[in-house]
Amino acid sequence: MKRIIIDREKCDGCLNCNVACISAHEEGSNFYTVNLGSVDSETRNFIKFDAKTGYTPIFCRHCDEPECVLSCMSGAMEKDLVTGHVKYDESKCAACYMCVMNCPYGVLKPDNKTRTKVIKCDFCEEKPDGPSCVKACPKQAIEVKEISR
Amino acid sequence: MKIVIIGASAAGISAAKTIKTSEPDTQIVIISKEDHIHSRCMLHKYLGHERDVKGISFVHENFFAENNITWLKNTTVVDLDTDKKFVRTNDNQAIYFDKLLIATGASYFIPPIPGLREAKNVYGFRDLKDAQLLDSECKTAKNAVVIGAGLVGMDAAVALLERGLKVTVIEMMNGIMGLQLDEKSSQAYQQLFEEHEAEFLLSDKVTSVDLDEAGKGKTIHLTSGKSVCADVIVIAAGVRPSFDFVERSGIATKNAILVGDDLQTNIKGIYAAGDVIGISGIWPNAMKQGKIAAINMLGEKLRYEDRYALKNTTNFYGLTTLSLGNINPKPEENFDVLIREDRNNYQKIVMKSGVIHGVIIQGNINSTGFWQYLIKNKIDVSGMDKDVFDLSYADFYKVDSNSGEYLYAI
Amino acid sequence: MNSNFNCKTCASADQKLETFISNLSQETSHHRMEGQSVKCGFGLQGICCRLCSNGPCRITPNAQKGVCGATADTIVARNFLRAVSAGSGCYIHIVENTARLLKKTAESNGVLKGKQALAKLASLFEIDESDEHICAGKIADMVLADLYKPDNVKMELVEKMAYKPRFDRWTELGILPGGAKSEVFTGVVKTSTNLNSDPVDMYLNCLKLGISTGLYGLTLTNLLNDIMLGEPSIRLASVGLRVIDTDYINIMITGHQHAMFAYLQDRLIEDDVIAKAKAVGAKGFKLVGCTCVGQDLQLRGEHYQKIFNGHAGNNFTSEAILATGAIDAVLSEFNCTLPGIEPICDELKIKQICLDDVSKKANAEMKPFVFEEKENQSNEIIDSIIESYQTRRGKITLNMLPDHGNDDTLTGVSEGSLKSFLGGTWKPLIDLIVSGEIKGIAGIVGCSSLTAGGHDVLTVGLVKELIAKDILVLSAGCSSGGLENVGLMSPSAASLAGPKLRAVCESLGIPPVLNFGPCLAIGRLELVATELAEAIGIDLPQLPLVLSAPQWLEEQALADGAFGLALGLPLHLGLPPFVTGSPVAVQVFTQDMLNLTGGQLIIDDNAQSAANTLNGIIEQKRKELNI
Repeated sequence: MKRIIIDREKCDGCLNCNVACISAHEEGSNFYTVNLGSVDSETRNFIKFDAKTGYTPIFCRHCDEPECVLSCMSGAMEKDLVTGHVKYDESKCAACYMCVMNCPYGVLKPDNKTRTKVIKCDFCEEKPDGPSCVKACPKQAIEVKEISR
Repeated sequence: MKIVIIGASAAGISAAKTIKTSEPDTQIVIISKEDHIHSRCMLHKYLGHERDVKGISFVHENFFAENNITWLKNTTVVDLDTDKKFVRTNDNQAIYFDKLLIATGASYFIPPIPGLREAKNVYGFRDLKDAQLLDSECKTAKNAVVIGAGLVGMDAAVALLERGLKVTVIEMMNGIMGLQLDEKSSQAYQQLFEEHEAEFLLSDKVTSVDLDEAGKGKTIHLTSGKSVCADVIVIAAGVRPSFDFVERSGIATKNAILVGDDLQTNIKGIYAAGDVIGISGIWPNAMKQGKIAAINMLGEKLRYEDRYALKNTTNFYGLTTLSLGNINPKPEENFDVLIREDRNNYQKIVMKSGVIHGVIIQGNINSTGFWQYLIKNKIDVSGMDKDVFDLSYADFYKVDSNSGEYLYAI
Repeated sequence: MNSNFNCKTCASADQKLETFISNLSQETSHHRMEGQSVKCGFGLQGICCRLCSNGPCRITPNAQKGVCGATADTIVARNFLRAVSAGSGCYIHIVENTARLLKKTAESNGVLKGKQALAKLASLFEIDESDEHICAGKIADMVLADLYKPDNVKMELVEKMAYKPRFDRWTELGILPGGAKSEVFTGVVKTSTNLNSDPVDMYLNCLKLGISTGLYGLTLTNLLNDIMLGEPSIRLASVGLRVIDTDYINIMITGHQHAMFAYLQDRLIEDDVIAKAKAVGAKGFKLVGCTCVGQDLQLRGEHYQKIFNGHAGNNFTSEAILATGAIDAVLSEFNCTLPGIEPICDELKIKQICLDDVSKKANAEMKPFVFEEKENQSNEIIDSIIESYQTRRGKITLNMLPDHGNDDTLTGVSEGSLKSFLGGTWKPLIDLIVSGEIKGIAGIVGCSSLTAGGHDVLTVGLVKELIAKDILVLSAGCSSGGLENVGLMSPSAASLAGPKLRAVCESLGIPPVLNFGPCLAIGRLELVATELAEAIGIDLPQLPLVLSAPQWLEEQALADGAFGLALGLPLHLGLPPFVTGSPVAVQVFTQDMLNLTGGQLIIDDNAQSAANTLNGIIEQKRKELNI
């Protein structure tokens, strides 16, 4: 399966991955128009900063043993056995947030605006050239690699 | 090999999925009492008319056909023969198995209060059938009384309020969801419910229920002396594992079906998982148990280890709360209780000697999944030169260089 | 494997140039586009602020304000006003130097080649003086006096130069500029930390800077240069890399201050200098045009045919020009002199000399032009270049592109020469517009950039779409450099125009795209527009005229744009000028501006749809004029 491999040392916290992620999930948006002016614009990846350790990119791993899938009571979270990615079906989700509770890396979160869904990385599967965040990293700290399962 | 699974909820379906993924040629028969697969955590969405029956399923529409599983719906098991290895159903079928998984869950319990068990309008809120009956009642009922302000009770209350009924909630403890929340976080929800016109009678118990000529419970009397009118009554006072059919089978039980670390019962080849084993009665754990039991039925010997059960998320009226572990420590336990609060968030951490024992986060629960890991694994965070409230997974960050998966650096 | 630097060069509207560059062993700006292709989202939207040590702050969904409390609207406005101030400063520097040079030329009774220009300005400034040198001196003094006024004293020449309806509107809006240099100062101060946080005030300030930039930095610079160097006259010229003649010692010139070369360009063709060249094996010296000063030389090429072979290309062609190996020296006095030429000059042993300390290149010799020393300085420069020629020629491999460009680009068009061409009156042009033979006029101006599709890609694409709709294009700036090299300024380009425009062009023997020269000539376009409007009796926003800087590059372009908006014209840009992160900016530029000055900003990076929009605007204006 394809997974985004992270090189933490290269991350400079520029947040371009966040901008790209928001833009990728905003209809008809590009970098000039992506709405960065509202708390309702959400990114599925995020960068944590700590004075000692520097910048840490936290991205969904689409885990081999996904805790989110194992905790979902509506069938909204499902691991696609072909692509290996964990898919999220908003229409099924009942916003119980057990997945948020169970993700050991704290990747998941409820949506800010309504708290009726989960913000979940979809690996930009709808996009022909793959995850938007990867393309937007000026340091190439993240890249897509084929991982054997 | 032929595997029979009794029960089609979290544990049963999870087991079936696991088996079909590893050994697709295994013959599977699932026996369950319902006629629709449904998620019991979503019953309030059905009752509140937010979703229909299909909308509360947690499997694909063609799940059984797609996976070549035989589903005997509307069927209960009445007997189990462990020597001859078959179960007998209520319609007198004998279903033989090579291996059996008992995932029959739990049923709601009606306390022996005078009038309560006899009343014809008292319902649990455990299965779809309960929700369907309640749905019917709600068409005419005006006053609803919910006995028990635990998670299930509050789920029922939300749905009944949505249907426009007047809702009164009776609870023995002096706060709602007392097992999952502390006083402050519980009050926040109580306030929201009250804003939606629910009424709470706390620190009070039902002493008796008066019935009318039709046998319906109409007036509920409480120890405080108060009485409440009711058209429909929901009992949410707890559940008991359901396993009557194993009575004469020789399966060891003690208020639940007893299993070893590998989820096998005392009878070889017969496993149990989910609420019926009473180890940790919440959905994610039931799913994991089903999965491990299934793997073991196929010949492995995995241990069910991730038993951590003191974990819960709540989401009512847009207010989300995460609660983990020991959140109401007693003074003599000598825990450090740290609180951080602002107008949008209430956060409490219970810890001792650098180890976190309990966490409540109410408000913004973004990215809080890592707390469970810290508590479950008793990670000592005292060495971190950091405010414990500022912790995140980034402080334990480690990556597997081959697979790119995250690990914990401790 | 070959010696190419790499294969990943950006596209160019100029196919021959694109191929040439992709095969170079030197790294150019075209090679560097790829590595810089990932852009910072915050920068693009203008919502990154680095004004203080609490920053850099970005506006993000979780942080809607900078630490100081500045919103996206404030941050974008500050960034924009600061850029316009810098851009204005550049142009004011140019006009200041030009006026000073005129003054010194006048005082020393130097040659003044543009008699008509002198008379015209004298009349405009209401100077009654028969001695041409004293008159020129007075003109220079008046300009300088205005430039040096403090910001609370309005510049006097604005009223004399501006079209009255425009002047009245600016007075109503309160945007008449004070001293041009002080206004730049004010713009910088206003946009510093925790000072001005009113976006609308800052955008009005930009308009003010646009006026001073346009009337002084653009219009006046042209006219002052015309006095010293002669007026433009229409002629056919050679353009492109073919103009580089290896038999000569070639000097590439870059910048915007033609007046600085006034003495040198005449000196280089004097007998003793030619003798020096012959002594080292060359036939003489040639100036090779690049950037706006090259366009200026081309514009006045009628007067300089011996020393000037032609304009080789625009700013982003400069590296390719040097890579031919046939340039022996670079004389630079302003932008665009890319830092990227430094390693190329090093490798190919090209001598670099800077004549203005604002454009000092790292490895260049600094020789700030001093009027009183011009004889000595020029001799030193000449000797130095001769030395360079001797050192390098014969040892450097040449990489020529003789079939690049063309020999029939129409150039030398100005407000004066065009009017003369039409018989001394604008009536023929007005008649053609009224009758619809020419639907309208588009000023396609400004820079060349490598974005918006590639080098000149949007510019060329847009022009082709416009002329196909019978819209006459007037061009000024590095955009001209790109358009002429691909043949759109040759009479044969008429075949690409729509049927009506084509007929007009073919009957007059002109191309559908007229070359007004450097970006300074945006000021000349303003004069044309003013004279047309005056003749018809309307204000500028009513003309069937649109303005576009499709591939605007830098801060000066933003100051030019502010001028265009102050004039009340629809202004098209290919890419947004780092303002889309501010809802107020978008509102002010695309909507409110219509009520303020009558202008409007249109952003569109697609040639077809941009042309459609501009066409629609022209048709609308025609309708409102009942033509």
